[in-house]
Amino acid sequence: MNKLKLNYTSLSFLPILVCIPLGYQLINNIHFGGFKLFQEFLISAFNPKIDNEIIITVIKRLNETILIGFFSWLVSIIFGAIFGIISSNIFYKIFNIPNFFYRIIRVFLTIIRSIHEVVWGIILMQIYGINFSIGIIAICIPYISLNSKVFAEQLETIDYKSFESINQINAPKFSSLLTIVWNPIINTFKNFGLYRLECSIRSTVILGLFGIGGIGTSIFLSFQTLNFRELWTYLWSLAILIILSGLIFKKIKFNTTNKILSIFFIAVFFITILFSFSYFLYFIFNNNFENFNSISSLFKSSSDLGLFDFLKIILETIILSLLSTGIAISLPPLVIGIFNNNSSKIFIKIFAFLLRLIPTPVILLTLLTFNNPSLSLAALTLGLHNAGITSKLLFTNLETQDRRNYIAMKSLGISKKTSWLLGLFSQQAKSYLAYCAYRSDIIIRETAIVGVIGSVGLGWQLQESLSSFAWQEVTIVLIAYSSIAIVGELINGKIKNSLT
Amino acid sequence: MNNTLLELKNISYKYKNNLILNKVNLKINSGEKIALLGKSGSGKTTLISVLNGTIKPTHGEVKLFSKSFEELDRKQKSKITTIWQDLRLIEDLSAEQNVNCGLLAENNFYFAFKNLLNISSFKKAHKYMQLCRLHNSVYDKKIGKLSGGQKQRVAIARSLIQGSNILLADEPFNNLDPKLITTIKNLLLENGDKNNTKKSPKTALVALHRLDLLNDFDKVIGIRDGKIFFNIKRNNLKKLHLDKIY
Ligand SMILES: Nc1ncnc2c1ncn2[C@@H]1O[C@H](COP(=O)(O)OP(=O)(O)O)[C@@H](O)[C@H]1O
Ligand SMILES: [Mg+2]
Repeated sequence: MNKLKLNYTSLSFLPILVCIPLGYQLINNIHFGGFKLFQEFLISAFNPKIDNEIIITVIKRLNETILIGFFSWLVSIIFGAIFGIISSNIFYKIFNIPNFFYRIIRVFLTIIRSIHEVVWGIILMQIYGINFSIGIIAICIPYISLNSKVFAEQLETIDYKSFESINQINAPKFSSLLTIVWNPIINTFKNFGLYRLECSIRSTVILGLFGIGGIGTSIFLSFQTLNFRELWTYLWSLAILIILSGLIFKKIKFNTTNKILSIFFIAVFFITILFSFSYFLYFIFNNNFENFNSISSLFKSSSDLGLFDFLKIILETIILSLLSTGIAISLPPLVIGIFNNNSSKIFIKIFAFLLRLIPTPVILLTLLTFNNPSLSLAALTLGLHNAGITSKLLFTNLETQDRRNYIAMKSLGISKKTSWLLGLFSQQAKSYLAYCAYRSDIIIRETAIVGVIGSVGLGWQLQESLSSFAWQEVTIVLIAYSSIAIVGELINGKIKNSLT
Repeated sequence: MNNTLLELKNISYKYKNNLILNKVNLKINSGEKIALLGKSGSGKTTLISVLNGTIKPTHGEVKLFSKSFEELDRKQKSKITTIWQDLRLIEDLSAEQNVNCGLLAENNFYFAFKNLLNISSFKKAHKYMQLCRLHNSVYDKKIGKLSGGQKQRVAIARSLIQGSNILLADEPFNNLDPKLITTIKNLLLENGDKNNTKKSPKTALVALHRLDLLNDFDKVIGIRDGKIFFNIKRNNLKKLHLDKIY
């Protein structure tokens, strides 16, 4: 018997084994009560409601979404760059600051980004009530930290020798710093920053589902009232917005030598910083923290959460992450490999687009029409949504890849599927897995969203504790959350390093 | 007049258990033009990095104006300029922006900012680039797009524009054709500059391989395996000396 050989290709398919326990639980939980609803949901996709009234609502709601999305993007990209600089090696070398502070700020940023924007949003809403700016703040907190990581990674690639030469000129330290970091920062903004706008908009939509406002809130309300035709009007208009923002990202070319444009950007930069600071101060002094009476309530409130329950919840969260990651890794290559012809390809692409477009809570609610809530269902939801994202990457990479091996194998009479696997996919597998490792960082954070709705794991516990103002429990859950996310980030960092 | 600007006292430098500089003593006096000779790997670049404060020696003291680098302020440290063997230009910036970086020490933050936005004045930069025989078309090109010789001259212009009175140059004639070598050598040693108005005379230490260029130097230092083998007036240089280090 042949031994199963572990290489990058087989490692990309192996995680599909998670479907065995997953499928078992899903089949056990199947019910047909919601079949009609599900049917209606599908049919409505081709028959969205279009009249004057709803168009006005759509425009109003999209406007809110764009505003929250745009401002949270702007603030998080600018402060992300600033935090990226102060969490990079170069900064500490130029200013001769002990490495200790470098570690502190890195740990701080890691903790901040380990908690999903929805969690920040739920907490802030509980403290301050629903408020337009809560959405912006909730997105900005983890986004600043996520962006700072990307900026810092770029700054670490600066050639140490060009730093030494600028240092030897003995310029004022801020001049040296600016001269050294300028190009990496601008390039990161061009290659990564614009793409983040789309992410901000998606996050705004998800926060909308939890009541922040904008198109997300409309999506949620129309789902709640089972108004599927309206629901699809909102979903399709969101699709148009996301496609448009993607197009803008592709079309915009920045010319850094254009003086007027440069001055405009600098003005936006400083105005944003000034405005954010003044708003932050205003926010602090103008809130009476109604629900969050004092820090002492943090210690007073008793916890009903037993150690056993708590461990169980943590375990659930970890299993949820693993199962979803398994689906997100293996499903795209499997489906693309099996249905390897042009017409299926178009179908898969549309399906993947829908999985990306429809916010995970809505996918989960849809699946609930024929399955009882369970950990597996939450995992399936999160896995499918992320498979939509990984498959987009896989498609793009496969299409730009050299096809000569594939053609040569086919001409030798090897079957189409085998040639695809060995001639095309096998060369992608390594970089695909590296991207999936990065993606699983995000999946761990997203377990919070499906947890809240699908009543599993820490996300659900968080919601419970918050609604009973048990701040001590909230703190414990948050600590558990960020521990899992940080450990996950460390492991994935190791995996990524070994893959690149 | 024995006005010592830069002094190395019993300098040793160890890197991963290799002794790269071995008990080096050296005085550089005001106005001296010193040639530094030695095979590849003999320690010339390391010596220059110690002299400009980039490398901290394992043992010994470095004194600039009779003080250690830690005791000096920024303005005093900027009295040294270096032309690096590996140039160390900023690849993503244009040639003129790189040359302007040499002016960062005497200007404020706003200047650095304008330089990056390409809205500062490049008049002075262009003057120095012309002195190095760089053509107009090179000015706004990115460093990555220049030839070896052009990059070399951008690095030289960046160093000269600093107006420092101590110049450390590490094999500055690499990649230059013979005619240019004479021009650049005169620039570095300020032979051709009749109306040199600077109060303190230029002091220079130049690492080089070409013995036919030694004429304009006052002193010659020979280094081998991190040890200084001779440190003599150029007139006293004999074949015997060269045999020791090559
Ligand atoms: N960064 C470094 N890593 C390892 N070895 C180095 C490094 N820098 C210098 N050396 C070693 O130090 C010795 C002297 O190098 P260097 O000062 O560059 O000599 P030169 O400039 O005369 O060619 C060489 O043996 C070289 O291998
Ligand atoms: Mg050298």
